[in-house]
Amino acid sequence: MINHDVDIAIIGGGPAGLAAAYSARNQGAKNVIVVDRNDWLGGILPQCIHDGFGVEETGHSMTGPEYAEMYIDRVNKMGISCMTGTMVLEFTKNYNIIAINKQGLHKISTKAIILAMGCREKTRWHVMIPGDRPSGIFTAGVAQAFINLYNIMPGKNVVVLGSGDVGLIMARRLKFEGAHVLGVVEILPFASGLPRNVVQCLDDYDIPLYLNYTITCIKGRNRLESVTIAQVDDTLHIIEGTEQEIPCDTLLLSLGLIPENELSKTVGIELDERTGGPIVDQHFETTIRGVFACGNCLQVYDTVDVLSLGAKHAGQHAASYALNQFDQVRHSIPVKTLNGIRYIVPQRISRSGVIQFTFRVERPSQSAVFHLKANGKDIFQKKLPWVNPANMVEIKVELSDSLLKSVDHLEASLDG
Amino acid sequence: MRNFHVAIIGGGVIGSAIAWKLSHYKINVVVFEKGCDVASETSKANSGVIHSGINSSPQSLKAQYCVEGNKMFQSLSDQLGFPLKWVGKYVIAKNEEELKELERLQQIGIQNGVSELQIVDASDMKEPNVTCQSALWVPTAGIVLPYDLTIVLAENAAINNVKFSLETKVKGIKKFDNQFVIETNKGKYQSNILVNAAGIHCKEIVAMVENPDFQVYPCRGEYLVLDKNHSHLVTSMIYPIPVKELGVLGVHITPTIEGNILLGPSAEFIDDSNDRKTTKNMMKTLLTEAQEIIPSLSATGIINAYSGNRCKLASSTEGGWADYRIEESKQTPGMINLLGIESPGLTAAPAIAEKIARMISQKIELERKEKILIKKKRKRFTDLSPKEQSTLIKQDPRWGRIICRCEYITEAEVVEALSNPLGAQTLSSVKYRCRAGMGRCQGGFCTQHIIRIMEKEFNKDITDIRLNSSTSSLFYGRTREINHDQP
Amino acid sequence: MDEKEITCIVCPIGCKILVRRNGTLCELVEGNKCKRGAEYARSEALDPRRMLTSSISVIGGKWPLVSVKTTKPIPKDNIFTVLDVIQKAKVKAPVQCGQILLKNVADTGVDVIATKTVGST
Repeated sequence: MINHDVDIAIIGGGPAGLAAAYSARNQGAKNVIVVDRNDWLGGILPQCIHDGFGVEETGHSMTGPEYAEMYIDRVNKMGISCMTGTMVLEFTKNYNIIAINKQGLHKISTKAIILAMGCREKTRWHVMIPGDRPSGIFTAGVAQAFINLYNIMPGKNVVVLGSGDVGLIMARRLKFEGAHVLGVVEILPFASGLPRNVVQCLDDYDIPLYLNYTITCIKGRNRLESVTIAQVDDTLHIIEGTEQEIPCDTLLLSLGLIPENELSKTVGIELDERTGGPIVDQHFETTIRGVFACGNCLQVYDTVDVLSLGAKHAGQHAASYALNQFDQVRHSIPVKTLNGIRYIVPQRISRSGVIQFTFRVERPSQSAVFHLKANGKDIFQKKLPWVNPANMVEIKVELSDSLLKSVDHLEASLDG
Repeated sequence: MRNFHVAIIGGGVIGSAIAWKLSHYKINVVVFEKGCDVASETSKANSGVIHSGINSSPQSLKAQYCVEGNKMFQSLSDQLGFPLKWVGKYVIAKNEEELKELERLQQIGIQNGVSELQIVDASDMKEPNVTCQSALWVPTAGIVLPYDLTIVLAENAAINNVKFSLETKVKGIKKFDNQFVIETNKGKYQSNILVNAAGIHCKEIVAMVENPDFQVYPCRGEYLVLDKNHSHLVTSMIYPIPVKELGVLGVHITPTIEGNILLGPSAEFIDDSNDRKTTKNMMKTLLTEAQEIIPSLSATGIINAYSGNRCKLASSTEGGWADYRIEESKQTPGMINLLGIESPGLTAAPAIAEKIARMISQKIELERKEKILIKKKRKRFTDLSPKEQSTLIKQDPRWGRIICRCEYITEAEVVEALSNPLGAQTLSSVKYRCRAGMGRCQGGFCTQHIIRIMEKEFNKDITDIRLNSSTSSLFYGRTREINHDQP
Repeated sequence: MDEKEITCIVCPIGCKILVRRNGTLCELVEGNKCKRGAEYARSEALDPRRMLTSSISVIGGKWPLVSVKTTKPIPKDNIFTVLDVIQKAKVKAPVQCGQILLKNVADTGVDVIATKTVGST
């Protein structure tokens, strides 16, 4: 066992882990280590060769690899250790980290842990598509890795299921690389990706968008031969007689992302089943002291800019904790979600100050009002002219000491 | 070499068990398998249950081989190292009427020579998540991984000189005197004895030589696979009593060696023996019925679905039950046919293999080899102690690189899987040997790394990389052509 | 003179804006909720441009491809011409992020630069 003694150990070297590491060092943490299972840093970013990253943060629209390199350079300049090709296997009873790589087994003792494991993609079985089980079915992220990193074309005649940004970006990418993109199939009445991507990935190239459609059957004994799509009604049930068979050899699944928290579960970190990630307070600290969470393993973000901002806060607070700059007393109150709010982060408030909330709504709305209530009374209100579940909302609220002392929970809700 | 004493058609669990048995003797044996690996059809797509024998009609061959095979499994597992767990089975009854059925099953079991059967009250069952009134406890029922068992039998036969010819389809059979001439897509072979272990395709093989006096009725069984985090739901197998109602499956709940849970199988007579679809209707029914037995079961736990086809010799109108036919053809001496080997086929396999060996010994001399090599299945890396793990990594750093994040499978294990003695090198052959890709992310992380290993370490062209069958290629080609004469 | 419906991409609302063109002039712009939308619709109708990202084959590098982008948006009509040049190009490792790989690609006046650093093997 190779032993390491650090102040902060960060599990995951994607954008969240790197931003957290950078911020932790800035805050004064001396010994910071980042561990990543891939041979490269940057997580998913090196394969996201499209632009649109960092617009809010830097004013420039960067590609994924450029954004990753920006942070990798910062991390290198600050003397942060990075162990790539290294998988965290488990935590010991004292929250030491056991990791493995080609050099052997490692035990990392640390004062604080930052979870930044990112997320994984939903598979065919999350939506139970019936039919044969041929080759030629890929989740969009895996297809993206094959095309952009490994110089491999997955297929020639492609259907994409799911109109989230990854699916839209991949539709365009495949078109650029000579594939016939036969359509993007979306079960909802609207695309779940950004309008910009619908225009620049589908409209620009006349790629059909089938809204209110889903795939009801996959055919192909060996390699994919066709998919059958059918229309759904407003309760998402199939409308008989609307089936259409689309011959194709490749199906890309862009069904959504699941925060990766298998490690978190092993040590009893409480998860929020609505986000799929750990329950955290405004310091990004989980229900276990000294363990922080940020990035896509906390909640699935829409943009890397907002993700990095959160990760930097997590890094800052983890460093404060490791440097013993935290208050010892830690009492927190829950933020409950009522009608209209699907989830809100942080789920707990442990100190007064300016809280940066991020949340998603249940339904699209053009004239909604966000309420934060304490003891049934509004303490904060904000008009949101246009919201939908696919767009995360950021809101800053200042909470005073006296308020927090006088209530046992807060309530977030949406009107309209 | 193209001349053999015995040619076995079919590399499923039956063909592989026979191959393993015959590999103990000084004879030349070949196995023709049309798939890219052994266990490519029914043998990998079943419940993996080692049955006790209570479900088989007394006096039948099914019952006989099941009980005999059941008794052979522990020593086979000890010898070859494949995991086997005697988890036991509860056949459950919801009411008094069903309790009578349990008593009837118990009697059948006793008749068939099954021991230690006991009827218990629900309160005595150690299954807090299961809803029922009483149950028949069957301790001699066990579980294996059916693809794992088949691979282990086949690979051990192969290292003892049984030739496995994969991607080899038998196209024609002719008999001349005491020789069979077998035409395949890989050329002609000769053998003295032919063993038809072609499973659901057994009739096609018989028809190459004579007029079959039977019909095959494919009967599809669909399954759902639950995430390992549901493994606490049951400890033993939970089977409702065999049902007679239309539209009710009587879904079985079977834990697996790896900690997953299987729901199924369904039973649907179909026309096309190659139709292994999963259907919306069945997937829904499997879940609904399972939830009646285990109310806390949720759909979010489903990580996979698959199906397999049974080789039935009786149609649904005939009742769907027929006994095994394991016999030398009267018309074509030297051809041994194994017809209708459906459940309890997995359990029966070692016993059937013994029977075939006896039949063959009547025709050719079977002299035992002095030494038999064993490729014992070793413990998975993730199950070793940290000290053992560190030692392995020092010997070969590839033990230190995790390729399958969900199941913690290392690069060394993937390389080992690709280096198997059968020469099977599809993505599925990796999956079934070392488990990479069978976790909850279903290959989301590991696939790209396994492909890289296949390319770099095994020099596979990416257009040659297949999922399971010979035409299930994964990729179309390169995004950018690699010009090899560039410096 | 022609009319075109443009989906605005400036903000998530995605207004559908109707633009009437007369030669190089925009005679009518309606349906937008703000000024930025009107500006976007005008430029989309008269001179639609796009940033292009793709990848170029690398010889002797740690990765077989280097991701690339155009330094400025290029006319929409030139996209496939530029892609063709990109797909035929090859570059030798090492490649630095930001390095110009194709100058004035397909006569657009725009360069194609690497967006990733790829070391040599």
